[in-house]
Amino acid sequence: MADGEENDEFYLRYYVGHKGKFGHEFLEFEFRPDGKLRYANNSNYKNDTMIRKEVFVTPAVLKECRRIVSDSEIMKEDDNNWPEPDRVGRQELEIVMGNEHISFTTSKIGSLMDVQTSKDPEGLRIFYYLVQDLKCFVFSLISLHFKIKPI
Amino acid sequence: MANAEMEALDFEPEDDDLMDEDMGDGASSPNRTAAASIPRLKSAITGGGSSSAPKKTKGRGFHDEAAAETGLNARMSARFDTLDSGGGPGHERSVEGWIILVAGIHEEAQEDDLQNTFGEFGEIKNLHLNLDRRTGFVKGYALIEYEKFDEAQTAINDMDGTELLTRPINVDWAFSKGPFRRRDTRRRSPRGPRSRSPRR
Repeated sequence: MADGEENDEFYLRYYVGHKGKFGHEFLEFEFRPDGKLRYANNSNYKNDTMIRKEVFVTPAVLKECRRIVSDSEIMKEDDNNWPEPDRVGRQELEIVMGNEHISFTTSKIGSLMDVQTSKDPEGLRIFYYLVQDLKCFVFSLISLHFKIKPI
Repeated sequence: MANAEMEALDFEPEDDDLMDEDMGDGASSPNRTAAASIPRLKSAITGGGSSSAPKKTKGRGFHDEAAAETGLNARMSARFDTLDSGGGPGHERSVEGWIILVAGIHEEAQEDDLQNTFGEFGEIKNLHLNLDRRTGFVKGYALIEYEKFDEAQTAINDMDGTELLTRPINVDWAFSKGPFRRRDTRRRSPRGPRSRSPRR
């Protein structure tokens, strides 16, 4: 990737959630261009409350997040053949990288089966794994910094 | 940097105002026209954005009305917990120690490799070497926690730019006390007071 990209804007937000018996249950995190990482996890299951954490990460962390995103090649994909969000839930992935801005929405993905039987298994698979990798990254950052188990 | 301190602790109220301004009562999607600016994003990130070039956009999220109903404003305008550190420049201590990021790690590296190399600088309190969820190999980064600042600083100084298993790695702090400014960012937003211009 070109060197110039490092000075370009980078923003990432991921949301997964649904509204159901236990209220609006969701997980969301956001990397902002100035380094702020915000994480929120809400469930009313067993009267649980919202976890909301934020911390500033360094440019090194943002750069790694960028690398994870660009290695996945998600920016080349499109969500127009992905399953639409439904009653079971929705996922949102919004990324700004350089001069490209994607904002994808889809339903929850239960397993690889859902990916393989969709109309765009290749693209959805990229999304599926990218989301898992991002979650790993964010959970590690949040749990290490705040010494909590964020799930 | 009093304002940076505020940013670290409070969610920016002006973002919420912007959402109201662009969305009216919230019933209409902010992203109805792709041609228009993307208010939801703009409110979540910095004011005018650093580049004046229009962005290529893709995705249903730009015109999906249901997205507006998930309550993004409400979610993002709430107060988030932080570790109170005053918000100035500099690295931020985590709850029990200091955390560094190692990037560029060879995909077949194992925890032992990191323990052996980075354990020299002090006792490693925590080590996260995450795997690529698709391949099962190492994703390429590790987060290492030391109890003492000096241990972490020495690890960074000595290991940044060196090689681990024949691959060059970069080592740096993971957390900072406040926002950083990119070199060629022009923060002057045409919207004036809404801009999150740096106040140096």
